[in-house]
Amino acid sequence: MCWSGRAVCVSKIILIGSPNSGKSLLFNRLTGLSHKVANFPGITVDVGSGELQGLPGKRLVDFPGTYSLQAISAEEEVAVGYFEDALTDPEVEQVLCLIDATRLEKSLYFTLQIIRDCERHGKPVIVLANMIDILDKHGLELDVEGLAKALHTTVLPISGRTGKGVDTLISLLAQPAAAEREPRKHLIDTADAILRGEAHALAHRYGPKGDILVRTQTRLDSFFLHSLTGGVSFFAIMYLLFQSIFTWSAPAMDAVETALAWTADRVVPMLGNTVVADFTADALFSGIGAFLVFVPQIFVLTFIIGLLEDSGYMARAALICHKPLRFFGLTGKSFIPLLSGTACAIPAIYAARAIDSPRKRLLTYMAIPLMPCSARLPVYTLLIAAFIPAQTSMGGLLGWQGLAMFGIYFFGMFCGLLITGIVSRAAEDHYTDLPFVLELPPYRMPGLIPILRNSVNRAKHFVTKAGKIIFTVTVVIWVLGYFPNYGADLGESWLGYLGHIVEPVFAPMGLDWRYGVAIFTSFAAREVFVGTLGTIFGIEGADENMIPLVEHIQASDLALGSGLALLVFFAIALQCVSTVAILAKESASRSLTMKMFVGYFLLAYVAAVLVYQVTGWVVG
Amino acid sequence: MNPTLWSLKAGDRCEILGYDDALAEKYRIRLMEFGFHVGECVTCLQSPAFGAPKVYQVSNTIYSLDDEVATHVLVRTGSLRE
Repeated sequence: MCWSGRAVCVSKIILIGSPNSGKSLLFNRLTGLSHKVANFPGITVDVGSGELQGLPGKRLVDFPGTYSLQAISAEEEVAVGYFEDALTDPEVEQVLCLIDATRLEKSLYFTLQIIRDCERHGKPVIVLANMIDILDKHGLELDVEGLAKALHTTVLPISGRTGKGVDTLISLLAQPAAAEREPRKHLIDTADAILRGEAHALAHRYGPKGDILVRTQTRLDSFFLHSLTGGVSFFAIMYLLFQSIFTWSAPAMDAVETALAWTADRVVPMLGNTVVADFTADALFSGIGAFLVFVPQIFVLTFIIGLLEDSGYMARAALICHKPLRFFGLTGKSFIPLLSGTACAIPAIYAARAIDSPRKRLLTYMAIPLMPCSARLPVYTLLIAAFIPAQTSMGGLLGWQGLAMFGIYFFGMFCGLLITGIVSRAAEDHYTDLPFVLELPPYRMPGLIPILRNSVNRAKHFVTKAGKIIFTVTVVIWVLGYFPNYGADLGESWLGYLGHIVEPVFAPMGLDWRYGVAIFTSFAAREVFVGTLGTIFGIEGADENMIPLVEHIQASDLALGSGLALLVFFAIALQCVSTVAILAKESASRSLTMKMFVGYFLLAYVAAVLVYQVTGWVVG
Repeated sequence: MNPTLWSLKAGDRCEILGYDDALAEKYRIRLMEFGFHVGECVTCLQSPAFGAPKVYQVSNTIYSLDDEVATHVLVRTGSLRE
């Protein structure tokens, strides 16, 4: 096929292999691209392609990993489907089958299936024995010649990590593909069951002898998976992860905020006292700035999770958390997405890609928006300061405000797990599911460059994908709040008018139109609630200094029940445009996203009304 | 009644005898693809507390299986071939 606008014709080379065999790393080395790389099975979840470096006109296609051509999950079905299409695609001139040379047993059955099916369609196969550097390091050997003879194909020892064997591969690929030859009939007709036995025998005959790699892994596992030390190290690592999200990203977040304020101070005065100036200041710098400020947090979180994945620890964390999460219909692999969700739902939704069970991935998507993300923090701080007395008991050990903060955080997490628990039991037969069988990869030093590249890509993706939607919503809210009186009085604006319309909706929570408007605008992003209330009460910079706003709320005679109702409402409702956008994209289901958005709003509303009514009844 | 993979404790070694009928065919095949063949020797490396998934070594690869799978793999313990 000749690609439009190009002078050269393009042929395709397929790269296929079992999960965690190092495909993405080799793909990146051969193409110069930066697909996500991690020491965790199931990282490649989509087909990617790139032109081979030094071989113009040849495109390398990276397939998601699968353990065999007999798919048992939706992702594997996708990979197998792509492979079957590739076999009949005349543009495909070569198939590269990647095997993990350190663990031949798990790769060879799949390799034999690939060779058999390629024989049937006349596609030449090169077997790449990856991770050969690890065998070299430990003085272990793979009988390459013997294996090649047994497989009747070229076997090339290679290392995606060090680049060993890559030049040989490039020169092999530069040559014209092997001429068509008579297919090997005996292989073509071999059934899967026989191939399984053959793979087992080949692995024993030609694979590396000795178990030094396993012994190293076992020593570390006896610490990280031990009932006592495993638990302690797990909590220590998670504590560091939290610290990194909140502490390490704080200077960068401050820097983004300062840079935006500095730019706004210089740009806005140049525009004069016009609608354009107001739009630039309020919609562009304040609105978009509030979203850009989260980019460093996403970068840091992705980087730390990348380190954990590439070191091999992530699989151990999934194992430790599996049992308690299974009770709520989730899996141990849901843990990291849920944990990430306490910082920001967006990287959490991305992290859920590593969950191989489609059912459990969907359930994890359902729980993530209820994790108490950092955007809820300013809202909780404001409401708790306004409604919960700053008193302590037990000699200062127990503060009521701190207890309330802990309570509302716990409430959010509990609601998330409760919902997945109920849905998983109610919808038991709606999806095919996978049992928990997790390959524990060997521990290794993380590769910093690929992780950094991936973190930059993820931050870029967040800005380009979510940014468009946030910009649109911000502009709409700004227009509604600015016209028809040019920002003179929010109460008289279209937004204020809307607030009066929706006032009856929020009246059962004891809230007037001002809170209705603040809730309405907070559907763009939760923290907008504080800024909007500040604007309505005529307080500048309410999101930086909340004390005057707290005093206004206390003076407005809002009932305790309304404050608690607001807390509950914010703990449950899905009020984040970016989350909704990313959720729709990652789940590939607008219907699920819409159901979650509406469902969580209704649930939040009913719970908030109940809290208001019950509090009123109790307090009197 | 035969012991199962789930009944092993850390350090125990066993030989796989087969799978019970309750295990779906596709999972049985997947386990065999992982190397859990009939006659294969498996070592239980970790048996964490509170019913967490156990860790098994088969050939030179390490897997973690929970009780939903491991209770369906029938094994023989005692003197085994090396």
